[in-house]
Formats: sequence, structure tokens, C-alpha cells
Amino acid sequence: MSFRYKSALLSLVSMAAVYGWFFTTLMLHKFGGRHFNPIVSLGGAVVALAVIQIAGHIIIAGTSSDKYGPPDERERAFDRRATTVGYYVLIVGALAAIATLHLGFNAPDLGHAVLLAIVFAECTRQLVFLIAHHRAT
Amino acid sequence: MFPIANNVRAEREARGMTQSELGAAIGLTRQTVAAIEQRHYSPSLEAAFRIARLFEKSVDELFRWEDDPPPEPMLFSLDRPGI
Repeated sequence: MSFRYKSALLSLVSMAAVYGWFFTTLMLHKFGGRHFNPIVSLGGAVVALAVIQIAGHIIIAGTSSDKYGPPDERERAFDRRATTVGYYVLIVGALAAIATLHLGFNAPDLGHAVLLAIVFAECTRQLVFLIAHHRAT
Repeated sequence: MFPIANNVRAEREARGMTQSELGAAIGLTRQTVAAIEQRHYSPSLEAAFRIARLFEKSVDELFRWEDDPPPEPMLFSLDRPGI
């Protein structure tokens, strides 16, 4: 496995885990009445993601011989394809976030919906990158 | 699998090169060289020319449409004066 493959896998898993926890807790607060401080939780999620990413990339770099090499044409093609798909997911997510206003949700909910759209688009981008690697290996 | 067959693996092995060495010589990763050899990836025209130049072959000696027969060895060249 190349360094960029491992990096994409780490980003996908860590984002899904950290923001999965954040949005699950948010839903429990919203619909289950569980105590939740969104600012503290979001700050904690961002810090946790940064720590996981930095530590994970240090470990990955230690086990990859190609960590200093630039991406070649095949990896750039994968990245272009993944970014294109991620862009469309982001557009759909942004429109869905705007739709929450018309469904009676408030401004913080709109913010959370935008964040969910960004996270979902980024996870999709990493997933498409990984799938492209698997299909052309 | 892509429809373009190639002799990259045979030419590389004939020269005793590893996939990593070939990749380093032409600016590709080892994974990309492996994918080209297994016909899971069609290289760009630039990469094809780089490989051909490294092996001192023409591009059509290395890459061909899968239905086409392998090219005959050239007995003479038109660009050599006197022939």
C-alpha cells in the first residue's frame, strides 16, 4: 500500500469515527433530550481529529518508503476523479442544508447541516480515491 | 482490464530492473508500474514515451491494441542514409 492510500484510509476512518460520534450525540440531544454543549463538543471533535491525523500520519510515514515521492499521474487521476465526485456530494449536501431552513429548523441546525455536508463530501472523496486504487491495482 | 497490451514487463525483466527502479527512472510509483504491466492502468502518452525512450524502443513496439499482432522486428530503417 502506498503512503497516499494509507493516508486516505486514515482520513476516512478518523473523520467517520469522530464526526460520527459528534452527530450521533447531536441527534441524541436534539431528539432524546440528552445534555450536550455543541461548541465544546465540536471543538473537542476538531482537536481529536487533528491529534489522530497527526499521530496517524507520523506512524504511516514510518512504515512507508514512498512518503517523500510526489503523486504520479495515476494518483493525480484518482484524486481528480475523487474530487469531482466529492464536489457533487458537497453541492447536494449544501442544497439539503438550505432546505432545513424551510423545514422549520433554526440557524444552529443549518450550521450543523452544512458541517455534515462538508464531512460527507470529504468522506466521499476519500472513499472514491480508495475505490479507484482498488479497481486499478 | 484495459484493451491496450504491452511488453513492459518482459522488457523490464530482460534488463534486470525492478518495478521500483523502472518507476523511479520515469517518475512513476512502483504501484503504477505494476498496474501498467497487469493492464489495470493505461499510462499517459508522456509516460509511454518515457518508458519507450528508457528501453530504446518505439512506443508501438511496447504498446499495441490487444487484437493487433505483435510488430515484426524491423530489418532496416528508412531514416538511415544509404539503405
